[in-house]
Amino acid sequence: MIPLDTPIYGTVTLGDLILFVIAVIVSVIIAKIVAIYLKRALSDRIDRGELDKLIKVIQVVIIFFGIWFALPSFDLDVGQLLVIGGTAGLIIAFASQKIVSNLGSGIFLLIERPVKIGDTIRIGNISGTVYQIRVLSTILKTNEGIYVRVPNEQVFTSDITNYVASPARRFEYRIMVGHRENVEAVNSAILALISDHPFVLKNPPPSVYMAGLSESGIEIVIRMWIPSMVWDSLQTEMPWKIKQLLDRMGVEIPVPQRVIRYAEVQPPEKRQD
Amino acid sequence: MFGEYDYPFRLESGQVRIRIEEDGGFFTYHRSSDGDDVHKIIGGKRGKIVINPVEPVNLPEEVTKYLEIRFTPMAIEPDSVQEVYLKFPIEIGVFLKGKGEGDLLDIFGLTRAKYSLYGTPDEGIITRYYESAVYERIPESDPLREGVLSLTVRNSSRGWVEVSRVVIDCSSLYLYYKDMVSLAAQMDIFSREIADVWIDDRPLGEEMTPVSLFSRARKTIIPDKIPFTMEYGAGE
Repeated sequence: MIPLDTPIYGTVTLGDLILFVIAVIVSVIIAKIVAIYLKRALSDRIDRGELDKLIKVIQVVIIFFGIWFALPSFDLDVGQLLVIGGTAGLIIAFASQKIVSNLGSGIFLLIERPVKIGDTIRIGNISGTVYQIRVLSTILKTNEGIYVRVPNEQVFTSDITNYVASPARRFEYRIMVGHRENVEAVNSAILALISDHPFVLKNPPPSVYMAGLSESGIEIVIRMWIPSMVWDSLQTEMPWKIKQLLDRMGVEIPVPQRVIRYAEVQPPEKRQD
Repeated sequence: MFGEYDYPFRLESGQVRIRIEEDGGFFTYHRSSDGDDVHKIIGGKRGKIVINPVEPVNLPEEVTKYLEIRFTPMAIEPDSVQEVYLKFPIEIGVFLKGKGEGDLLDIFGLTRAKYSLYGTPDEGIITRYYESAVYERIPESDPLREGVLSLTVRNSSRGWVEVSRVVIDCSSLYLYYKDMVSLAAQMDIFSREIADVWIDDRPLGEEMTPVSLFSRARKTIIPDKIPFTMEYGAGE
């Protein structure tokens, strides 16, 4: 059996090393237990994304304290450690520029917060809901349920379209009705229908108006503001409701059409030779 | 209708019918109101349920925590205080009362929900919208549909101000009930654009029952004592 006071590196003994490992393991276990309890206690009170962030911060603090508690057993000079850490950091940074770039982008993303967990966004040509914002990458869940990992550097340098950053969004539909329809009655009925929906906002008010005449029919524009949070469900629900209303009213939705007139042609006179 | 009940039980009030009955090894919850029917199974032994008015921001689904009440415009003199009464919509929460916190079993409302935007589309807030008349005294109300809000408006600005809306943060409403549902708030107007809205913890009548913290549809860790600042005006 090796005695615990056996030096293994400089003045660091086997006992110091075991103490350090035990302190780190204990702090990791405590951090995990605290995370479980926090999740149980706060899951119905705090947004899931915010709760995950809070738990991660608390876990890091607990583990940091565990390491800090165990470090004196190594009898290390903290100042020296910082110098070594700084130098090592520079070397690692040069050796792994891409990772550092992603890390830096991740930090700026956290500061600038152009997106947050749960937002529906588009980065480049990838659309989806932000599932996780990590230090090096952002995880998107596409509408097809596929998880896509986007490096933070790409997130930071790409155009980001955030569909839910504003509290409300405007919808616009354009429909065509036949030339013979009573446009005023159609407009009033559509306005009443959309105004009746709880999530079509009272202010700014919805509007329905005739936009123009075309060769096929009369173009009607329908505009409404809705909360961004329910954007997805309403964009499929409202056209269907409008279509049902027009069907009930017997309103004709014209297909592209063209009136063709045949010129009257006199049959050639027969020669009588 | 509001209060605590041991189940099984049966309750009918207006167009709302609620019953919990024993069905084999468990209990079944039935609720019908306004053409809406809900059936749920409750596990465990006999217990209690609590039916309470709750903040009107949960239906059809939760998109905001703010309630905006529009009313007839009132011109308020500088350095003056005016107390008025408004009506606000309520939703009804059915909670299972157990050993720990109460659990929301069902939530329904008899008033039609409507939402609006207070402020600008890019920086404003979504609000549950309601229109009310202005009353000098506590008005009659159907406690299953509406509550009565006592609003004390203080004009701390230098000029006359026209007030026609109040926005209330529903995170921690102090609702009371008896033969009506009540809420009290104060509105401190600093300018035509800025006003603070505070929720008061006081009933509007005697022997009114407070809606307990556990039976709020919205759970908060610390009750919000910070006023909500209306930054987009209290008038039109």
